[in-house]
Amino acid sequence: MSTIAEHGATQSQKLMVFVLSMSLYGLATLISELIPSVQIGIVELSVEFFLFIPLTLAMLFDPLSAALGAATGELVFSEIMLGQFGGLGELEKFLTVTIAVYIAGLMVRDPKSTKQVAIAAISGPAIQLAMSAVVDIVKVQVAVEDFEAVAGLPESVFATEGFAFANDLLFSGILFCLLPTMFLVPRLYGKIEPLLGCKPRSADTAAPSVSGRVIGWSAAGFIVAIVVACVSKAGLSIIEWEADWAESQTALFAGIAVAAVIAVVAAFWAYRTAQLRRA
Amino acid sequence: MIEKLSENVMDKVSIDFLRDQVLKNAYGNDDTPIAVLDPRVLLLWYLFFALVPWLLDDVAILLGMFILTAVTTRIARVAPLVLLIFALGVFSQTGYLFVASLFFGGDLSTVAPLLVLTLKVATVSLASITVFSGLDPDKLSNGLLWFGCPERLSFSIGFAYRILPILMEELQNILLSYRLRGRAPEHVTLAGKVRWIVYQIKTIVQSFYPLMLNTAKRSRTTVEALELKGYRYAATDKKVLKLKLSSLRAGHREAAFAALSAAWVALCFAAPGILEALS
Repeated sequence: MSTIAEHGATQSQKLMVFVLSMSLYGLATLISELIPSVQIGIVELSVEFFLFIPLTLAMLFDPLSAALGAATGELVFSEIMLGQFGGLGELEKFLTVTIAVYIAGLMVRDPKSTKQVAIAAISGPAIQLAMSAVVDIVKVQVAVEDFEAVAGLPESVFATEGFAFANDLLFSGILFCLLPTMFLVPRLYGKIEPLLGCKPRSADTAAPSVSGRVIGWSAAGFIVAIVVACVSKAGLSIIEWEADWAESQTALFAGIAVAAVIAVVAAFWAYRTAQLRRA
Repeated sequence: MIEKLSENVMDKVSIDFLRDQVLKNAYGNDDTPIAVLDPRVLLLWYLFFALVPWLLDDVAILLGMFILTAVTTRIARVAPLVLLIFALGVFSQTGYLFVASLFFGGDLSTVAPLLVLTLKVATVSLASITVFSGLDPDKLSNGLLWFGCPERLSFSIGFAYRILPILMEELQNILLSYRLRGRAPEHVTLAGKVRWIVYQIKTIVQSFYPLMLNTAKRSRTTVEALELKGYRYAATDKKVLKLKLSSLRAGHREAAFAALSAAWVALCFAAPGILEALS
């Protein structure tokens, strides 16, 4: 197992970046979860956007570690610690935050260039907000059965999501992502790297820039996020399909399904116990 | 109103309060009937209550499941702060949709589908509060590890609970020192209020600069200490895993808990049939 990875960052430095990004962003999301949002008229200044922390770290260090650390930090600190863990729903947030921070970090070749930092700092939240708006719309369409039939619901969902996107990008995006990142990156550059024992990033030591492969993986991750949101839709149609059968057969099939699930769980349990005993 | 809330949040008392609540939630109640259960059984239990409500549309069954998860949350003695956040979360997920659809010409017929959606969200969240707040972090991460979750995640959970009080105290100290040195603008007029908000936001962003440097040092120390103990190799080693997970035991208590839950859910499903037979 080689410890020296490509681009000069060692495995332990990647772990340091992961821990750093996780604890800082975790703390920030925990606090923002507890602060009531500031309302000015109908414009809501949601203070939930501390995305500038992982953005700054992704621009200065290995982007993937910073992105994964931020997503994990949010999951652990503000979801699991406060008991807000929504199961599969959290996977969607995890993926969108990781993708957005990773891409923004890759966009910066040279942290000393103000232009690159500015473009990346606004693209990150834009990517994340756009993805979560799409997922939200799909989710409401799926969860409420007669989506089209309920008067006023489709329009209200599109309107609230569209408004939230524009509002968040213009207010939170500029106030809490663009400006802080442009403040922090030049100040931290060259100061924070020695603390982790690595060289400051420059144009030739930077990770490879946004490539087709990265976009492909991001698109795949986004599709997974949407599919996760749609799982309940599939579940609904299975139950509807079962209801077409006669009463006794439904009971039979339900019984078979329950038995199958219990068998799978029991088999996994036995397998895992045996695996651990053998070790 | 706004400045009162923000001043409250900035206050030393409230940060101490948050820290106490989070710590109490994590370590304060490990003697409840829920906390002594095997984490693997609880995670399976959670999996059921996180998935099944999404597949159901019957208000009666959903209500029954909601009651069960509410009871388990009560037994787990979750901190009040967590419950408050839960209530806010449920409202912000579906309540605002209801208001918005009224605005776009919906009427009371909008309530029924939204009630179903709210019940689903509430049941799933309460189940997660029971499991993720009721268990202490070490047990939880062992349980996740047993199911083959990445070592990074279980490390993050354990680490997060220990680092959070330290980070919170540090952030508070930095914020207080900024307040000591600076002079907050007057906030009597509207322009003054805007200046005041900008000043507060600037203080928070600026205090992340020293915090980032300090946390970088700390995360290097952490990772180096982990490396000394051979963390990266231990994380992938089966023998270490066996040693770590040997404390997990599932016995009569877990069986009783699972049987009670299953009986209640079965009763919910059978209730309409029983009522019909009686009448």
